Amino acid sequence: MKLIEAYVYEVTRRLPEKSREDIARELRSTIEDMLSEQYTEDEVKAALGKLGDPAVLAASYRDAPMYLIGPKVYDVYIRTLKKTVPWAVLVTIIVHSVIGILGFTGEEAVLYFVIKMFGTIIANVVMVLMYVLFWFTVVFAVIDRVDFSKSGQPLPTGKAPWSPDDLEKVEISPRKWTILKGEAVFGLGWTLLWTIVYFNADHLLGRYQSIEGGGLKFVMPLFNQDVLLSYWPAVLLLIGMETCLVVYKWKAGHWTVKLAAANTIIHVIGAGIFLVMASDPHLYNPAFIASFSNSIDTPASFLEWLWLIIIAGVAVSIIIEAFDNFRKARRP
Amino acid sequence: MKSITVSHTVSKRGEGWMSSLLESFMTELRRGTLTLAVLSQLSTPQYGYSLVQRLEEAGVAIEQSTLYPLLRRLEKQGLVTSSWDTTESRPRKYYVLSDYGMEVYQELKQEWHKMTLELTTLLKGEDNHEAD
Repeated sequence: MKLIEAYVYEVTRRLPEKSREDIARELRSTIEDMLSEQYTEDEVKAALGKLGDPAVLAASYRDAPMYLIGPKVYDVYIRTLKKTVPWAVLVTIIVHSVIGILGFTGEEAVLYFVIKMFGTIIANVVMVLMYVLFWFTVVFAVIDRVDFSKSGQPLPTGKAPWSPDDLEKVEISPRKWTILKGEAVFGLGWTLLWTIVYFNADHLLGRYQSIEGGGLKFVMPLFNQDVLLSYWPAVLLLIGMETCLVVYKWKAGHWTVKLAAANTIIHVIGAGIFLVMASDPHLYNPAFIASFSNSIDTPASFLEWLWLIIIAGVAVSIIIEAFDNFRKARRP
Repeated sequence: MKSITVSHTVSKRGEGWMSSLLESFMTELRRGTLTLAVLSQLSTPQYGYSLVQRLEEAGVAIEQSTLYPLLRRLEKQGLVTSSWDTTESRPRKYYVLSDYGMEVYQELKQEWHKMTLELTTLLKGEDNHEAD
């Protein structure tokens, strides 16, 4: 009967060669057992329908697992990734930063060079991540299938078995909303970044031009560096306050009402200094303004609108962050 | 009475959700007893379809697509042995418990008796609470 043969074929073609013949023979005899002496095609169809999808049947004959990383090695897999991925990323960043800095000839503008290097680093980090993930997954999938122990026990994770004594080392955080150390470090990095930009604005911020199709070159600064630097007492005060805030955050470890208040006050002061500086007409390099209005036909109202949007954006972000911080401080 | 009202409100909330959850619990429950049910019928040699019929007669519903692979797995684990009988018009593969399989079956049977006893006690206790 053609249908029976087709069904048997559909099952066995999905199975390893050596077991095919035996399973085919058994299946055939089983299907015929289900039928009466003089069976009709409908009867065959009913019997095969009872056996179900041949792909499903073949899958249950196969002992091979239907997953890539099984529960036996999953723990070790995740642990290994957590240990290696940050290092892989760090090493990639360091290597490509060094290569990039060594290759800096000084012909290009600094900002253009920095942006290009960032691009290279990000691309390489993504590539390394894919390599690491791919190879670890392959290796662990193989380990899972080879199964050295035959016990079905999860692979040892290298840690001693848990005991109640371990609890003595656990520190219960008094508040739910802890400040991650990373958050504090990020704050410090941000302060450092704008400090560098502030003191080097005369060759970082301004107009860039592509010269003869080559890299971008710095043409003229946006600010009058003298006027900009004349604000140094206020800026230094802000740097000091932000640094103190980072240290305070790191030490406190969680949000308190006092910390949230200090955070908000410093942000308001920072925004105030920024707005005062930005509204100083002497701050801007007249040559830059002239070339800017030459290259782009901008009505005066556009600049006014831009100004309003920046003020509103700063105000809204300060309010949202303050609200969030106070909420975290109140919540136990 | 209490349990009826509870299930009524649940079914109002979403019958499909309820029944699919129930089904997955039942499948899990049945899967655990499957090996024992099959082993219990293999003291005498059986071929695939005769085993299906015996189990069905006893009210044990088992998918054939589950049973045949299970038999092969039991053979691989050394619990049953198989042999082809070609004397009749249709060749059939017979499975029967090995000595090792018999041992495992006896152990499992004892465990089952112990478990049912424990659960019967638990469930009876629950009934008494409801009657209060």
